[in-house]
Amino acid sequence: MAADFYKPMRLNEVDSSFAQQIKAACDTDVELCLECGKCTGGCSNAHIFDITPRKIVQLVKLGAKDTLMSMDSLWTCVSCHLCLDRCPSGINIPRIMDYMREQAYHQGVRARRPNVELFHELMLESIKKTGKVAETPLMIKFNLHSGQYFKDADLGRRMFFKGKLSPFSPRIKDTTLVRRLFARTPVHREG
Amino acid sequence: MINIAYYPGCSLHAMAHEYDISTRLVCERLGLQLQELSDWNCCGATAAHSLDHQLSIGLSSLNLALVDAMQLHRVTTPCAGCFSRLKTAAAELKKDNQAAKIEKMTGMALTGARLVEVAHLLQVMVEDIGIDVIKEQVVKPLTGLKLAAYYGCLITRPRTIVQFDDPEQPSSMDWLLQSLGAETVNWSHKAECCGGGFAASQTDIVVDLGGQVLEAARQAGANAIVVACPMCQANLDTRQKAIEVDRGTAYNLPIIYFTQLLGLALGFSAQQLGLNRLLTKPFALLSALNLA
Repeated sequence: MAADFYKPMRLNEVDSSFAQQIKAACDTDVELCLECGKCTGGCSNAHIFDITPRKIVQLVKLGAKDTLMSMDSLWTCVSCHLCLDRCPSGINIPRIMDYMREQAYHQGVRARRPNVELFHELMLESIKKTGKVAETPLMIKFNLHSGQYFKDADLGRRMFFKGKLSPFSPRIKDTTLVRRLFARTPVHREG
Repeated sequence: MINIAYYPGCSLHAMAHEYDISTRLVCERLGLQLQELSDWNCCGATAAHSLDHQLSIGLSSLNLALVDAMQLHRVTTPCAGCFSRLKTAAAELKKDNQAAKIEKMTGMALTGARLVEVAHLLQVMVEDIGIDVIKEQVVKPLTGLKLAAYYGCLITRPRTIVQFDDPEQPSSMDWLLQSLGAETVNWSHKAECCGGGFAASQTDIVVDLGGQVLEAARQAGANAIVVACPMCQANLDTRQKAIEVDRGTAYNLPIIYFTQLLGLALGFSAQQLGLNRLLTKPFALLSALNLA
């Protein structure tokens, strides 16, 4: 379809100081990008990304912060770090992805994959309360909160008979320091 | 006897219990004394680094401080995810300004924690104990097993931080398995991603990426996949049925921890090593070769 062939990306908001902001926050310099495309070539999930790694670096240079905060790729990146390892200039794309996700989260940009965000929040809630993650209660909570009540019910049954499921939540004796870390971040669900 | 701090991580105290017990058995046999950190906390995994970098570094810094409190300077973990978080925190703490920020957040001095070294268990096996030493201890060679050594992402990446093995063509686990008498296949997907932390929240991605790994192992002629990470194991094992439905191919590939195979070669029983806890049963394969 000829009409689908060329889709220019429309950038509404640009911020000329953004590349500097990334350099300070992520300790990585996008100006070193050679535009070779090795990052996208190796990317585990480029086939489902709306914006691929090489373009992400380019958008940082262009200061397209809003576009980056609202892209779907933020929530489908598996953090495999292949892009970083293959980059001849050592640009830390995984760190940029984390930073953009963090910014989007703190600025209240709606996550394009709400279940991913939900899972992270529930996990952090568990760590905040107990210092640890209890896998089985986390899975059950995730199913309830995401409205997928019977997700993986059959798998759960098989895992139960292998002794892989435990209803108990381990907890550390002293949660003071963990709580102190959480005191300065809103990245967990209340409740 | 080598003394090293041991950080099992949440998974090894739950779903991946068999990785914990097999690790303890083989390390004891090989003269590696694991001292579990007392009252360790979760590393924050994908959740923390995805939403708050400083929280992620902070959580792992607390664990590095526990290593220092035990008067040890080296910590190992069998989980590639925990390893990546601990190793990243250790690298971040090397920067003075970052260390100062984390000290402020935690309200504790991290002078000793900043000196702690982090190594994945596989690295400790090949670098501290040594493949020659392990080979001498083999009592039951794994003859006949054709294995795909699967490293996944985070044992070798990112190379600047990890500084172990080759991130494109890793070979340490292959050498280890070969020293136990097994054959390892040359295959395409040893360092590709299985879908990592998306098992629950985006199962379709795990079915897609994990499916590619299983298919590549099958095409290479492997009769089992060997892993050194509880997430790789869980994704490839618990999602194997869904992958078989998705791809219309029966794989029936057991996903076995490298410590379990090492344990078999050192003479421990399949039961002791928790091989009965794997969803894709390895027993037909192992008993045909008189290994279980």
